[in-house]
Amino acid sequence: MVADQIVFMSTGILLVFLGIASISYSKNLIKTVMSFQVVLLGANLALFSSGLNGSLSTVAGTRLTTDSFVFLSVLVGAAVEAVGLAIVVNVYRKYGTLNPSEIRKLRH
Amino acid sequence: MASELLSITISVAILATVLVALFSKKVSVSLIALFWTSTLLGVVFTMYGNALVGLMQIVTFSGAVSVLFLTVILMTGESKLDIGATRLTIAVVAGALVLVALALTQVSSGLVGLSPSEYTDVSLATFSFLWQFRPWDLLILVTVFASAMVTVANLFSRET
Repeated sequence: MVADQIVFMSTGILLVFLGIASISYSKNLIKTVMSFQVVLLGANLALFSSGLNGSLSTVAGTRLTTDSFVFLSVLVGAAVEAVGLAIVVNVYRKYGTLNPSEIRKLRH
Repeated sequence: MASELLSITISVAILATVLVALFSKKVSVSLIALFWTSTLLGVVFTMYGNALVGLMQIVTFSGAVSVLFLTVILMTGESKLDIGATRLTIAVVAGALVLVALALTQVSSGLVGLSPSEYTDVSLATFSFLWQFRPWDLLILVTVFASAMVTVANLFSRET
């Protein structure tokens, strides 16, 4: 189980860094929101795997601390992404493009 | 050893789908890859002891958020709405492989995470009883999601 924890923790951290890197160079706002989702999934995976070592107290197989935070994070993350996609649609209606550099030029 | 092999395989699959999602030129392909990433993460949560979080992950991210992304892509016209017959075949084959894997899980027993937890409280016996049908639940769930995935791929393959 500890080996599983290490594997999933490494994968989660890698996902977070990949997502942040993709956010920084993305030329499309939809891809930016997708990258944010990757960061969120990585953080959830890392948080979930941190409770896999069996040292935490459980009720009916559920780890109280980490799993509760992952559950909360999933719901809040979905809401945040919905808001982000709504902003993307509004930006597209106003500027007619989803390229951040073009939007920056059109603002001035 | 089997558990470690399984976790490494799932991690490699997650990384592969994430790389496709982030570095693909077409937004529609990214969306499909992100769908599989979310589903795999839900499978991990379910296999390692928390079915509630896993199902919530699949319902919200693979279901609701994917549909939101699809709506935004269709509204903004960012996709050319054509993933081609090859990718459609790949989506069908991937869904079939998942179904076969779950069917094998149903046949075999003692795999990681697919056995009922130790319940000490008598009031939790209902959950222990329901757990006997858990592989069938997973099979039906993945069948529904694979059907939805093929439908989305079919939608992308048509020019509108």
